[in-house]
This record gives sequence, structure tokens and C-alpha cells, in this order.
Amino acid sequence: MGRKKAVLSVNGKIRDLHSLPGHYGWFTALTSFLPGLFIVLVWIIFGSNLVDNFTLAALGDEIRSLSNFDRALYMNDIHNLAIGDAISRPLTNSLNNATNFYLRTQNNLLWIFTLSAIGVSSLLAIFSFRKISPELRSRNLVERLIIIMLVISSSIAILITIGIVSSLIVETLRFLEHVSLSEFLLGLKWSPQTALRADQVGSSGSFGAIPLFTGTLLITFIALLVAVPVGLFSAIYMTEFASPNARIFFKPLLELLAGIPTVVYGFFAALVVAPVIRNSGEVIGLEIASESALAAGLVMGIMIIPLISSLSDDVISSVPQSLRDASYGLGATKTETIVNVILPSALPGIVSAFLLAASRAIGETMIVVMAAGMAANLTANPLEAVTTVTVQILALLTGDQEFDSAKTLSAFALGLALFTITLFLNFIALKLVRKYQEQYD
Amino acid sequence: MDKTTVQELIQPTIKARNVDVYYGETHALMGIDLDIAPKTVTALIGPSGCGKSTFLRCINRMNDTIPSCRMTGKITLDGEDIYSKNIDVVQLRAKVGMVFQKANPFPKSIYDNVAYGPRIHGLAADDKDLDEIVFSSLQRSGLWNEVKDRLDKSGTALSGGQQQRLCIARTIAVNPEVILMDEPCSALDPIATAIIEELIADLKERFTIVIVTHSMQQAARLSQKTAFFHLGKILEFGDTSEIFTNPRVEKTKDYITGRYG
Ligand SMILES: Nc1ncnc2c1ncn2[C@@H]1O[C@H](COP(=O)(O)OP(=O)(O)OP(=O)(O)O)[C@@H](O)[C@H]1O
Ligand SMILES: [Mg+2]
Repeated sequence: MGRKKAVLSVNGKIRDLHSLPGHYGWFTALTSFLPGLFIVLVWIIFGSNLVDNFTLAALGDEIRSLSNFDRALYMNDIHNLAIGDAISRPLTNSLNNATNFYLRTQNNLLWIFTLSAIGVSSLLAIFSFRKISPELRSRNLVERLIIIMLVISSSIAILITIGIVSSLIVETLRFLEHVSLSEFLLGLKWSPQTALRADQVGSSGSFGAIPLFTGTLLITFIALLVAVPVGLFSAIYMTEFASPNARIFFKPLLELLAGIPTVVYGFFAALVVAPVIRNSGEVIGLEIASESALAAGLVMGIMIIPLISSLSDDVISSVPQSLRDASYGLGATKTETIVNVILPSALPGIVSAFLLAASRAIGETMIVVMAAGMAANLTANPLEAVTTVTVQILALLTGDQEFDSAKTLSAFALGLALFTITLFLNFIALKLVRKYQEQYD
Repeated sequence: MDKTTVQELIQPTIKARNVDVYYGETHALMGIDLDIAPKTVTALIGPSGCGKSTFLRCINRMNDTIPSCRMTGKITLDGEDIYSKNIDVVQLRAKVGMVFQKANPFPKSIYDNVAYGPRIHGLAADDKDLDEIVFSSLQRSGLWNEVKDRLDKSGTALSGGQQQRLCIARTIAVNPEVILMDEPCSALDPIATAIIEELIADLKERFTIVIVTHSMQQAARLSQKTAFFHLGKILEFGDTSEIFTNPRVEKTKDYITGRYG
């Protein structure tokens, strides 16, 4: 509409307009639609609170003077009655009246909001429509509106991250009231069972996180040992040797691995890989636990192969063709070219792929729960059962918990520690990627 | 002895006979016959897309790296068929070096750039030997004085003209017989171009040079022989002085006088 008027106002001579006709259209649409949307959002978020407050205000003093808890119960009954649900007290006249009032208020407010949304929108629509003239710099206005929307979206993401991190930090500080930092970071024993009664065995629990982190490192290390060579070599094969047809066939197959849910990997590890390892251990006379770091690590390695191979694939294929030509032109063989030119050029990108894969492995829970167990052993032997940070967080928070026991709070401390580590890894990875991108400009 | 007999006595280094090249369906070269004499500069000129680069890349078999590319016909280097089964491509490319249109130094140090070829071909007996090769290659490409105190700095940090001379140094470090150059100066300013032209004039004392160029002046200044390519065929080939003063084919005349199109 705005667009049409803009075009009409210059008798169809688009060149006389300050901005493109489309901008005028967007200008009208955005200025009228956004405030309306804002009002609707206000209703969705604050609407029910508003209705409750109105109802409370209308209720007599006896209800208002009740304790917080009882008042909430009373309001709850009103809500339930309003939608025809069971209520917790005999139906009295006053309750009935209150409910009716509640319903009326709800209805009225809904109307008010709807009408004001429509009203504001159309008022603004008329207003902006009238403002349209060839001189109006609607292009700049639209640009500014769009920028504001983008800023809002990105600040939401940032705010959420800050919120999560700060809640982690606060809870971790509360945990540190129970357990000292040095015990948490340097303690060698993890057994978070705090007893309910002080005279029970193990009433204090021990919160040394070292076994968890070594377990995490051990499994991650095994996983990388599997995934790095396989992923990297398959990326090299894909980019340098595979014919286009083979590439079309193999690449989706590899990426299929990335689409398998981790739970499936988990029972694959527990039901197939672990028994195979145990049996082959028996053959050579080794005692191997049925839950072992090796099984979990191997399967986790398989899981992160596609991550490594597709990221490395990207960096290897972005090595400029001219460098390959230069090397071939000097009489280098394919292998010499790969080893001497392509891999060194792609190295920062490849390393960052490894780091991203490592942080993925560190955060993985399901496979470890199913294949490596829950026992917090401090060991470097891949044939024993170990546990990881994420698995312990899971164990700590499943089931009924008191919210401020050291046991529950330790989950936050673990989470924060884990977050710091992966953040650090990702940070290095990003730095490397950036360095790599600058190289060819 | 008159002129023709002298020419017949000198064996051409490269001999192309009836060369056809296809990229998939595209017929890029048709029936190319060309003799390239030793220790001369041969210029390949012609409008864009006529197949000059394609022909150049046939001579060191760089087209092997393009999957869709197919070639028929025969090219010999010193009498040996370079497309025969028992030719080692690696050996061939050590004998026939190539300098590309856009300077493409490796993201390595200047020293490592020049040492790359000698290292993979095992040309240096020891480190001192390698130093010597690097030194003389940089010397001959006229780059030595500019880079002698920063051999360990990255080759990509040099200026465009210096990078191109580094690529030439890298090529002559493997001591080839033939150097192919595909528009080596097209990305350079006139001063850098003049330096490289001087360098090419020097290099022809030791190497056979085939150069693709879009600059008529450059072809006239540098080369002894010129081949005019047009739509995948060679329309005219002969002494540069002949072609530029007295072209036999009308199209050649139009092209070199700038009336082509
Ligand atoms: N890799 C390729 N794949 C398919 N076709 C190609 C390829 N390289 C070149 N061609 C085609 O072959 C023909 C000759 O190309 P060539 O690069 O040899 O031309 P040129 O004479 O070097 O041109 P210019 O002066 O622009 O560099 C062109 O029609 C081009 O489209
Ligand atoms: Mg070309």
C-alpha cells in the first residue's frame, strides 16, 4: 500500500523518489506492525498476572490479609473453577463471585489489548501512510528499524548466555561454602553420597574432581586417537584423490554417521563393542571390565569422525588450487604436495577441527553412561571402568534431590569447570581459524 | 650455409604434432603442430580463450590434473614422447618448469620456497649445497639483493613483482631445460614488468622459454619466434620479426595491430 502511494505520489516516476518503492512499503508495514506485535507480546507475558492483580484488588480485605501461601491457594482455586476443574474447598458464594469477576476481567482485558493492538497498528499505519512523500527517507528509516531488530535478537542470545553462566557461578560459590576449592580441584576421591543422617557411614562425602577429569581426558584421548587419523585421512582422500563420483557417494555416507543419535552409539558401545573387547581380552588372558574406557572412547571416536572429516575437508579444499599447481609444476608427487604444501597450509584449520571435536567429546554423556560406567576410578588404564564429568552431573541431578545439599551444588561446580575447559578449547580453535583465514587474502 | 639449413641442423627441443585437446565436450585445441627451438624465447599470442594456456599445460602435462581434459596427438621433448607410458611425469616436470600468471609462492619462508624443488628431487648433497642452489637461483632471478637479509621471512609477504621473481627463482632452482610462462607479467606494474622482461632475456642464454603474453610489445621485445593462436588453431608461426612486420595471414595482422574483434 505504502509502496503504491509512493509510486503514485511521483506519478510513477520512480527515479524522483528518495528511496526504492519497496522501502516505502516496508516502512509502512514495519512501523504499523511492530508496535501491534509489541502489545500482543505484553499481553502474552504479563496478561495473566494483570488479571490476577485486578481480581485480588477487587476481593475483600479478608483475602488480601491472608498469608502469601494461602492467597496463592485461593487464586489457584479461582483459576481452576474458571476452567471447570476440581477445587480444594467448598464452593462458597464469595468464591463464585470472585471467579465470575475473574472471568469478566480476563475477557475485558483481552478485548482492551486486542483493540489497542489493532488500533495502534492502524493509527500508525495511517500516520506513516500519510507521511509518505517523495522526500521521506524511508530507506534510512527501514535500515535503522532492521538494525534495531537485529540488535535485539543478538542481545537476547547474549543475555541468555550471561544468565546461564552467572547462575553457574553463583551456585558454584554456594558449593564452595561446603567444600573448599582446593579439595574440589585437587581431591583424588569422588564419592558425592552425603548421608541423610549424620551418624551414617560416609556422611561427609568427598568431592575431589580429579578422577572425573582424568576419566574425561582418558576417554576423549582415546576418541581422538581413533577419530583424528581416520577423519583426517578420509578428508584427504575425499579432497585430493576421490573422483567426483566417489565423492558424491562417500560424503553423504560419512555424514550419515553424524546423524545417528548418541543413544544408539551408546548401546552399540555397551552391547557390541564392550563384549568384543572383554572377550578378546580373555583370549590373551587379560581381565577387562565389561564397562571400560576403551569401549566408550572407541565408539565416541567413531561418533566424532564426521565432525573432523567434514571440517578438515572444508579447510583442505579451501587451500588455493594455485598452490597445488605450483607444487605439481615443480615436479612434486601427489603425496609430496599433500605433506609439504597442503597440510602445512591447512594445519591451523585442521587443528581447530580437532579442538572442536575434542570439546564435543568432552561434553558427550550418553555413550559414557552406557559403556564406561559410573565408577569414579582414578586410573590411566583404558581397560578399567571410569566416569566423566558429564556423567556425574547427570547422576547428581537425576532423582530426588535437596536443592542446596553439597551433592546437588557440586553439579554446578562441575558444570562450570567443564564450561571453562570447552570455552577455552573453542576459543583457541576460533583463534586458529581466524589466523588461517587471513593467510590467503 | 644459408638460413634454412642452419635451422634444420638444430634439433627442436619440443615438437608438437597434430595435438588435439578436449575439455569434456569443448574442443580446445585442434591439430596443433609446433617446433620450439632450444635456447630461444617463443611467444604464444592470440585472443582470450584460444587455447594458449591449454597448449602450454600440455607441454608439462599439467592438464593431467584436470579430470575432464583429454589429449590426442604427440609431443616430444628432446625426441622423447612425453605422453608415452614409460615417461615419469615427475621427471618431466622437473625438466619443464612452469611460472604461472598469478604469483603463487608457498606460504613458507623465502628460503624454503626456493629449496622446495631441490629438496623433493634430492638435488642437493648437503645443506651447504642447498644454500648454494638457493643463492644462485635468487641471484639469477635478480632477487638476491632485495631479500638476502630476510630469507626466513614468508614468501607471501613480498611485493607482487618480487613474488613473481621468487616463483621464477623457485623454478630455475631445479635446473629445468624448458621454462613455461603463462602471462607472467599480467598482474604487475610496468616497472616490475620491465625487471622481469630483462630477467627473461638473460634466462634464454641457459633455458628454452615459452611465454604466453597479451602484450604485443612484450612479444616483440622478448621473443625470437611467435605463434599466433586463434580458436584452437595456430594460424601463423614464424620469426617474431617476420610476424610483426610482415604477417602473412590477415587475422594476425588485425590482431597485432589491435583491430581484432
Ligand atoms: N579446466 C577447464 N575446463 C573446461 N574448459 C576449459 C578449462 N580450461 C580451459 N577451458 C576452455 O578451453 C578453451 C581454451 O582455454 P585457455 O585457457 O587455453 O585459453 P587462453 O588462450 O589461455 O585464454 P586467456 O588468454 O584468456 O588465458 C576455452 O574455451 C576454455 O573455456
Ligand atoms: Mg590463459
